[in-house]
Amino acid sequence: MTLMARGGALRAADSPSASRQFRNSVQPVLTKYCYDCHADGVSKGGVAFDEFKSDSALLENRELWWTVLKYLRAGIMPPEKKPRPSSQEKHAVETWIKAGVLGIDPANPDPGRVTLRRLNRVEYRNTVRELTGVDFKTEEEFPPDDSGHGFDNIGDVLTLPPMLLEKYLVAAKSVVDSAVPIVSKTVAEKMIYGGQFTQAKANANSQTNTKKRNGSLSFYETGTTTSGYKTERAGPYQLLLDLSVNEKFIDGIFDYNKCRLIFKVDGQELLRKDFSWEGGKTYHFEVETNLQAGEHQLAFSVEPLTPDEKQTRSLEMRVNSVKIRGPMDEHFWVRPKNYERFFPKDVPESVAERRNYAGELLEKFAGKAFRHPVDEKTAARLATLAESIYRQPGKTFESGVAQAMVAVLASPRFLFREEEVEPISGSEIHPSVDEYALASRLSYFLWSSMPDEELFGLAGQKKLRENLPAQVKRMLADGRSQELMRNFPGQWLQARDIETVPIDARAVWLRETKVDPGVEKLRARLRELKSKDNANLSAAEKEEFEKIRAQINKPFNQGRTELTGDLRNAMRQETEKVFEHVLRKDLDLAELIESNWTFLNERLAKYYGIEGVQGDEMRFVTLPSGSPRGGILTEGTVLAVTSNPTRTSPVKRGVFILDNLLGLPPPPPPPNIPALEEVAGEKKNRSLSLREMLELHRSKPLCASCHNRMDPLGLALENFNALGIWRDQEQDQIIDAAGKLITGEPFKNVGELKHILATEHRRDFYRCVTEKLLTYALGRGLEYYDVGTVDQIVERIEKEHGRPSVLLTGIIESGPFQKRRNLPDSVPSPKSVPGERAQLSTTP
Amino acid sequence: MKTNPATQYFNFSRRHFLRGIGACIALPAMESLKPLALLASVNKAGSAASKLAMTATGAPLRTAFIYFPNGAIPSEWWPTREGKVFDFTRTLQPLEKNRNSLQILGGLNHLNAEAGLDGGGDHACANGTFLTGVRMKKSASDIRAGISIDQVMAQSIGHLTRFPSLELTCDQVRKAGACDSGYSCAYQHNISWSSPTTPMTPEFNPRLVFERLFGNGTHGERSQNLKRRQQEQRSVLDFVLEDARNMQSRLASRDKDKLDQYLTGVREIETRIERAERFENIKDPALDTPAGIPSDHGEYVQLMYDMMVLAFQSDSTRIVTMLLAHDGSNRSFADIGISEGHHDLSHHQNKAEMIKKVAEIDLWYVKQFAKFLDKLQATKDVDGHSLLHNSMIVYGGGNADGNRHTHSNLPILLAGAGGGALTTGRHIKLGAKPTTNLFLSMADRLGMSSLERFGDSTGRLSEI
Repeated sequence: MTLMARGGALRAADSPSASRQFRNSVQPVLTKYCYDCHADGVSKGGVAFDEFKSDSALLENRELWWTVLKYLRAGIMPPEKKPRPSSQEKHAVETWIKAGVLGIDPANPDPGRVTLRRLNRVEYRNTVRELTGVDFKTEEEFPPDDSGHGFDNIGDVLTLPPMLLEKYLVAAKSVVDSAVPIVSKTVAEKMIYGGQFTQAKANANSQTNTKKRNGSLSFYETGTTTSGYKTERAGPYQLLLDLSVNEKFIDGIFDYNKCRLIFKVDGQELLRKDFSWEGGKTYHFEVETNLQAGEHQLAFSVEPLTPDEKQTRSLEMRVNSVKIRGPMDEHFWVRPKNYERFFPKDVPESVAERRNYAGELLEKFAGKAFRHPVDEKTAARLATLAESIYRQPGKTFESGVAQAMVAVLASPRFLFREEEVEPISGSEIHPSVDEYALASRLSYFLWSSMPDEELFGLAGQKKLRENLPAQVKRMLADGRSQELMRNFPGQWLQARDIETVPIDARAVWLRETKVDPGVEKLRARLRELKSKDNANLSAAEKEEFEKIRAQINKPFNQGRTELTGDLRNAMRQETEKVFEHVLRKDLDLAELIESNWTFLNERLAKYYGIEGVQGDEMRFVTLPSGSPRGGILTEGTVLAVTSNPTRTSPVKRGVFILDNLLGLPPPPPPPNIPALEEVAGEKKNRSLSLREMLELHRSKPLCASCHNRMDPLGLALENFNALGIWRDQEQDQIIDAAGKLITGEPFKNVGELKHILATEHRRDFYRCVTEKLLTYALGRGLEYYDVGTVDQIVERIEKEHGRPSVLLTGIIESGPFQKRRNLPDSVPSPKSVPGERAQLSTTP
Repeated sequence: MKTNPATQYFNFSRRHFLRGIGACIALPAMESLKPLALLASVNKAGSAASKLAMTATGAPLRTAFIYFPNGAIPSEWWPTREGKVFDFTRTLQPLEKNRNSLQILGGLNHLNAEAGLDGGGDHACANGTFLTGVRMKKSASDIRAGISIDQVMAQSIGHLTRFPSLELTCDQVRKAGACDSGYSCAYQHNISWSSPTTPMTPEFNPRLVFERLFGNGTHGERSQNLKRRQQEQRSVLDFVLEDARNMQSRLASRDKDKLDQYLTGVREIETRIERAERFENIKDPALDTPAGIPSDHGEYVQLMYDMMVLAFQSDSTRIVTMLLAHDGSNRSFADIGISEGHHDLSHHQNKAEMIKKVAEIDLWYVKQFAKFLDKLQATKDVDGHSLLHNSMIVYGGGNADGNRHTHSNLPILLAGAGGGALTTGRHIKLGAKPTTNLFLSMADRLGMSSLERFGDSTGRLSEI
């Protein structure tokens, strides 16, 4: 931080005028409102304004003044009960901090510097899909990316350990293998998928045969599933069968059934094979046959072989696909799939022409992949690589080019986003990034993917900057902008976490029911039994175990709700779609906090207790009056991801609001926090409500300063349990959601809290969203010198009634997005010595 | 393949494989390790470096560091009696069978994980300091830890095997949003660091670990596949190396770091290809490739431990780190009737019921570890001893008491006899010593006695 300051912004703090201003207009305000606690020997929170050696030492402490600015603006300081500065006084301090201390020059803002960004898992997947058409499952193949500042696209944190590079090499090869054909002509292929097979099934009731679309056959009964296929030409054909044996897994129970599978084409048997259970295994068979031109029938039949075995696991044979290859005669061969995409021409004959063609193809491919045209030298190196392969005996031209494409996808120029800059013009201090870099900044911001042809074309003509508004509009209208709607709220509002957050529905419901000593006893016994290994239990104990379990579970198996996969998915979509709706309809951003609508499907609507929504599709729903829903705070995602597995956490919820809506998270808990029970003292023996516990917490001055900020916010959401469902009481206590913000505004319930946040704290929220989205767009954490940029954008948003389009344009047009810092990078890179001590941060 | 009884057994059920791996692999192990035994004896007769990562009998000496999260309930962990006659507490009970291969080490600290002037963040610090012994820089993006002991070891002995080291985890889910108290998530999800700025990201998918070690495809074709892949990679590596060098010359220093990481990776892969050629036969276990991540967490953990057994047994590497779950992990253990989150519970407020549950979780982790030791014990090494005998395995965590976030008297034990170089079967109270002293003593056993200092070390542990 301090290093950045030295290399970064203008040294405004040294100027005599800043010092004079401090004496004249700032210090009097501080004396009046702040010095009671932060001067004259008092240094609450470790802050004393009069304990610096000199004015310049005080003024140089950017971290301190940046914090002052934040606390002053958020209304946290001076505290509620103390006299507070007038808006003019506040303004004077703010202005001085920005210009005098932080050295912000609105005409030439310091754009900061983004560390070279590696593509993260999402970006890699999208980029590769755009480039080659292959959907490479990075979530399975690559380790998760580390995140910083809440986002996983932060250049500094996206490291590249050797293992990942190894994966990139393997991935490059695998992507090219599945995308790029390595021959000019090949046998024609046609796939028939399991779903295209139909099963004639005897229907006992109607005495007629109904056809069922299905490629699955049970192990336990005779059955046949068929599909038609038309051949254009007569000749030898090859059929590749892809089958799997599926089951319903039941722990500890096995299924020893066997069946026989017979495959016929036009009645002629081509395969006969016996199968037993193989737990989800897939099988591949290859058969050959001569076919005439015309219609044919493919038929799979199953005959059960073990009528007396217990049928426990619903074993079934599934036809995944049949690939029909033929006619095999070279005369009838066709272009392989995707050929034209990578090889638009026929492969020339002569050595020189081949080399030229390879160079041409690879220059184009590499240019796209690197998101910047490549020089001749690179193209030549690639052509040489290709040539070194295709000149080997038995290798095709295409396979050589494909191998060079692997090299492209493994190159650091593909994996990292290198940026070039334009020459500095006029009064500029910092250069603009060049148009190709701008195209990438745009596309990775709005699409989490590489620039498309149009952006690339405009950048090539140096016309992207002048067409920026139109392009942003086009990009947002493009389907790829869904990535922004997914990845930004997914991380900002932690909607992604809903997929995996462990919530134990049973335990949550238990808290809502009254304590029943009888049930508690049973539960204790159950735990006791569980602690022994199942194998060690006697028969009687096993029986007892099942009995108790059934008894305890009874109330929960009667229509109680679990946080199932489809619900989690619907919740995630709700958060994304609400964000998307506000963005696309250009509604006031404050509607993200308070609104009378949301997005629901039938499942989620029922879960929330809202009538009249039918079907799986998520759609816009106007909420009934009095509904507590509508707005981020009462979305299922937020309520659940801020909970512990068995209960709500008002502290986590409070921190969530402070961090993600108001933009000023509390500092981390101090070291050596006294345990809650030490605070609780003599009341220990009684079970306290969460609210009482937290009150104890706040009675300790050390805890109070922060918990007074977060707890009331979190407690306001107590009417929603850890599953995000409304409740009126927890065990024997009626929930009291009323409270007061640290800034003084009282509220009775979550609805009133939302209203306060959306009105009184609207500006804080605009600033918070701006900071989060700017972080996401830039791929770096914000620094003190970004205050000016953020302020400018927030001001515009306020003027334009909170419209998100203003936010997006503001970010895209901002200095940090358009430019790169023009100062020698003087941060020394510390040497890595084994066991070297990392520097202690000196931030106060 | 059909004729190998072990494989048939395996084919029947993956679950059975998991339970029986120790016994299963014993067969092919001896076979596949032959070339290595040869190598070992050559080394023994040869240079000054001969003793590196080798036992007195010439077998490879393996080292592993296994991290479990959120500390352990001290009263359920620490034996009351010292020395050879120590007693097994409830948490450590599952290890009783391997009593003679253990040292329970009391009194090890990580003072650099204690909160400093920069405030709290004990989980990030516990995790990041565990193998580095240094203080983490508090920053969400300006990462600065220290090189970890496993990587220091890998620098000295990594060249002996195809993989200098292996990093594993059973924790694949990352939360969105910020991590612990202003510390980058990198500190909390990595225990292994090859430099203060480069975490060695652990692998979480057992299938990918297996394929990385032995190649793609089915048994019998893997070596070929691996060789072919490496041959193909050569031409690619030449190209990207030049790209990286060109690019590095264009970049500023902070960005150069990233390219350094890239270049290090390229060099490592190149070395591995060269080594693969030297070692000739890459072992190919007569096992099916794991399908992926088992849904049952116990199975998952065992499968990852199995990958460690395989890696050691095939001498693919001699250094493995395993992050069972990141410190602060809030995993719930429904299988043993604990639906609350681990981290949540670890702040137990001295409530008996909560303490009991945390102890149950501690026990669960130890049970998993005990099974791993059983497998190592059941697997014969080239010299006729067990793999466990020829290993040094640290099992521990960077938080002592999860409730209060203390970093003194950490729950740490050392399993394996280090090929006879360790005095096992004891509970020792070391007083108050930096954990890094233990690491130095382990490095000694690997033949790295020139390592004078590591992290906050103050000397060696004469006691182990």
